[in-house]
Amino acid sequence: MITIKDLKKSFRTEEVETLALNGVNLHVEEGEFVAIMGPSGCGKSTLLNIVGMLDNPTEGGYNFAGNEVAGLKESQRTQLRKGNLGFVFQSFNLIDELTVYENVELPLIYLKMGKSERKQKVMEVLERMKIAHREKHFPQQLSGGQQQRVAISRAVVTNPKLILADEPTGNLDSKNGIEVMNLLTELNQEGTTIVMVTHSDRDSHYAHRVINLFDGQIVTESKNREIGAMV
Amino acid sequence: MFKNYLKIAWRNLWKNKGYSTINIGGLALGMAVTLIIGLWIQDELAHNDNFKNKDTLAQVYQSQTFNGRTGTSPAIPLPLEPALKDKFKDNFKHLMMSSWNSTTYIKYGEVNLSRPGNYMQPNAPELLGLDILKGEKDGLEEINVIMLSQSTATAFFGKEDPIGKVVRISNQHDMMVTAVYADMPYNSSFRDLDFIMPWKHYVNTNEWISNSLDNWGNNSFQLFAQISDNTTMEGVTNAIIDIKKDANEETAEFNPRIFLLPMKDWHLRNNFEDGKQSDGRIKYVWLFGIIGGFVLLLACINFMNLSTARSEKRAKEVGIRKSIGSQKGQLIYQFLSESFLVVLFAYVIAIGIVLLSLNGFNELSRKEIAFPWNSGVFWGISLLFVLFTALLAGSYPALYLSSFRPVDVLKGTFKAGRYAGLPRKILVVLQFTVSVAFIIGTVIVMQQINHAKNRPIGYDREGLIQIPTFSQDFNGKTDVVREQFLKSGAVVEMATSSSPTTQIWSNRSGFDWEGKPEGFQEDLAWTEVSAEYGKTIGLRIVEGRDFSREFASDSLAVLINETAKKYMGLENPIGQIIKDSDDEDPAPPMKIIGVVADMIAQSPYEPVKQGMYVYDRFDNFSYYNLRLNPNQSASQNIAVIERVFKENFPAIPFEYDFVDQEYAEKFASEQRIGTLSGIFTALAILISCLGLFGLTSFVAEQRTKEIGVRKVLGATVFNVWNMLSKDFLKLVVISCFIAVPIAYYVMNGWLQEYPYRVILKWWIFALAMLGAMGVTVLTVSFQAIRAAKQNPIRSLRTE
Repeated sequence: MITIKDLKKSFRTEEVETLALNGVNLHVEEGEFVAIMGPSGCGKSTLLNIVGMLDNPTEGGYNFAGNEVAGLKESQRTQLRKGNLGFVFQSFNLIDELTVYENVELPLIYLKMGKSERKQKVMEVLERMKIAHREKHFPQQLSGGQQQRVAISRAVVTNPKLILADEPTGNLDSKNGIEVMNLLTELNQEGTTIVMVTHSDRDSHYAHRVINLFDGQIVTESKNREIGAMV
Repeated sequence: MFKNYLKIAWRNLWKNKGYSTINIGGLALGMAVTLIIGLWIQDELAHNDNFKNKDTLAQVYQSQTFNGRTGTSPAIPLPLEPALKDKFKDNFKHLMMSSWNSTTYIKYGEVNLSRPGNYMQPNAPELLGLDILKGEKDGLEEINVIMLSQSTATAFFGKEDPIGKVVRISNQHDMMVTAVYADMPYNSSFRDLDFIMPWKHYVNTNEWISNSLDNWGNNSFQLFAQISDNTTMEGVTNAIIDIKKDANEETAEFNPRIFLLPMKDWHLRNNFEDGKQSDGRIKYVWLFGIIGGFVLLLACINFMNLSTARSEKRAKEVGIRKSIGSQKGQLIYQFLSESFLVVLFAYVIAIGIVLLSLNGFNELSRKEIAFPWNSGVFWGISLLFVLFTALLAGSYPALYLSSFRPVDVLKGTFKAGRYAGLPRKILVVLQFTVSVAFIIGTVIVMQQINHAKNRPIGYDREGLIQIPTFSQDFNGKTDVVREQFLKSGAVVEMATSSSPTTQIWSNRSGFDWEGKPEGFQEDLAWTEVSAEYGKTIGLRIVEGRDFSREFASDSLAVLINETAKKYMGLENPIGQIIKDSDDEDPAPPMKIIGVVADMIAQSPYEPVKQGMYVYDRFDNFSYYNLRLNPNQSASQNIAVIERVFKENFPAIPFEYDFVDQEYAEKFASEQRIGTLSGIFTALAILISCLGLFGLTSFVAEQRTKEIGVRKVLGATVFNVWNMLSKDFLKLVVISCFIAVPIAYYVMNGWLQEYPYRVILKWWIFALAMLGAMGVTVLTVSFQAIRAAKQNPIRSLRTE
């Protein structure tokens, strides 16, 4: 599903040029659950942003489900992203002015889905995430764990092929963290590909494969015992 | 989708109530100002729109040159009308002679009123397109007939049928009512046409007019025209321009040019400079249009600044929307619909403000503007106005906000760049430049008005009243009435005059005196007065003496003013003789017995015109001037005067004016402009300050952490206040330096129109600058001190 070849990304400020990714090669199969680990500043998030088409690589190739992505314009990337990708962030990134229901509904609106169909899908996913009873609440009225469940609901409501999670448990206590990881695992088992950036060894054990980044390069790759290993 | 946008916009507005109040309130104020100015401009442009024939109507004007100076006016001589009919018949559908609009006493039964109206030729109803409600359209064919406006007819006859009734005019002539026409709208050049009487009657009952039928030199009448369908105004003007020069040799030396002023120019473009059409009221239409545009811009700038200042709060939303599939275009659309919502909201409030203030505005501007609820055009324009404002205010924030990169904002690393605040600063500078320029402009207008008001006027206008005497009933009774007034104790002196003290009604030429330069074309103001005129109004004698009843010879004496002394080149005027230059039938020569101080009878902004005061031998007066007893209250005096008046003139309605009020009318136009621009300036400053207030609160919020750290490190409240205020003050100082030269240039140009004008002093500018800075400091300080006083622990914890 994802093939990345010799990917480089540099950031330029007035004084210095920083190489965030330096020749990354990565292949992710459909249905895989991959964790990316590494110390702060190693380029994890930059890689995730490029995979998520929020950012363009400076050099190298990126093929997503048969489409060459590197070099696409922002509007083209948005088009490709729509419905194919779901994001889960460490800080949830819910829109404070929208209710739980409306936050989850938003991607469907951008897909120009009809109202009744939207309602059905949103309620389905909210119930599945056990947050339906909070549909009329605003994000600030929820706990961190609940907010992350809403964020995951929003990420999966379009049935994306790929979910990108950037430290999804980083702002949660361990109980809520485990719950979130179980949800992701469940989604993966249903066929959704997941790429997750994490600091947590515990979380990385949920993945099939762990990739270690250091200074913008993949240094090690290790396979976990079995798909969906529980801790 | 749109619903989603509106929902989020609404919740944003609701959540940030303070910000929304500033934003919507400021916009509403700005829009209300623009709306009111728009209504005012529409009313000005709609002047004379009621006339069916407005596109083909014109007034005949004349330019003449005296001593190298060309004057232009609608006053024309009598023989012009037959000459035009004779030579250029095909060019005109109608030509109609008219008197000037003047007040006349009309009496029916016990009802005795004075009403303004004109004497006109029989085709007047046709030419003016009068809406005849009762009676006949050709009701001016006879001599002793009158047509009345509806309200005038009602005033006299109530519910009775006026047609065929007979009213008495000036207690002299009986006239039969032949028609009633609908009242003219208030914004019409004929708004004061309460009656029309036949031109023939006017000519037959006034000897001086019937004597002028062949006189090309007596320019005392008006002529209106409707041109033929196949002609143009320019075409007709080109044809008739030399008609007077060709017809009459005597006046040809003044190079008379006859032309048409189309009706559409009567109200707004009736000023002439040196024979050429210049501007007129249209300059005020422009002035207010520009003010309205600027005030709206100021309000829009608030919207832009507050929206972009809050960008960091909205950045996250932009990032999320982009990451889940929103295109940039959709975001622009979203933010524009948000601004549309805000503007629509503001517009509704603006309409409320307009409705509340329309009465006051009408009073101030002497208008009768009604809110155009039923006008489709108005609502259409309103929609365009709202869209335009939404676009003006919303496009910059929309483009700015939608351009955020999701990567930056979602990771929480988003910080507005080093230069992100620059456009905001430029906009603040623009706002205060406009505000400071407005302040300076208003102060200078007020100063100029005061300057002219404080100008010595040459006589004492306090405690002086004038009573119009437009009837032959007054002839031959002056001395008797004067005695009674003096005896009554309400009046200390009384005199008559042929024009009111605040105006010049007559100008004469055709004089000879010793030392008059060869070819000198004199033009002198002419006022006929009774012996006590100078004493009554408090006119100062500079040389020689006043009129006196002791000298019988004074009936052929004349007083000249100081300007006339210089104008005529008389070094020792006392005793000089002024002769009539007409050789065939000369008027008797007059002897100059005194020189009086210049008195302002025309514009207080212009030099006093050369003039002479002639002893009134033939009861040519039009006014009684009465000096009230200063030891009694004015109302007491007036009551006594009214009683005496009614005893002597039972058929004439008692009317009077205070001369000081009449004089104040000369400033009314400037005063109105000054008051209105003062109000608009205050609103402009208020709107700018609202914006600044909002901006400061955001900056204070943005720098909460910095303020906390600084306080922990030992900064005082003053340090923090200073830090926050300085940035804004700098911007205002820059504005001042831009505004001052612009304001100087514009106001200096405006003042050039007034020969008698105030000198621009540097301190006006300094004061405006200080004022703007003071207001800025006050506005900024409220938020700055609040931020500075916060407990640093709290502000640090917000991170």
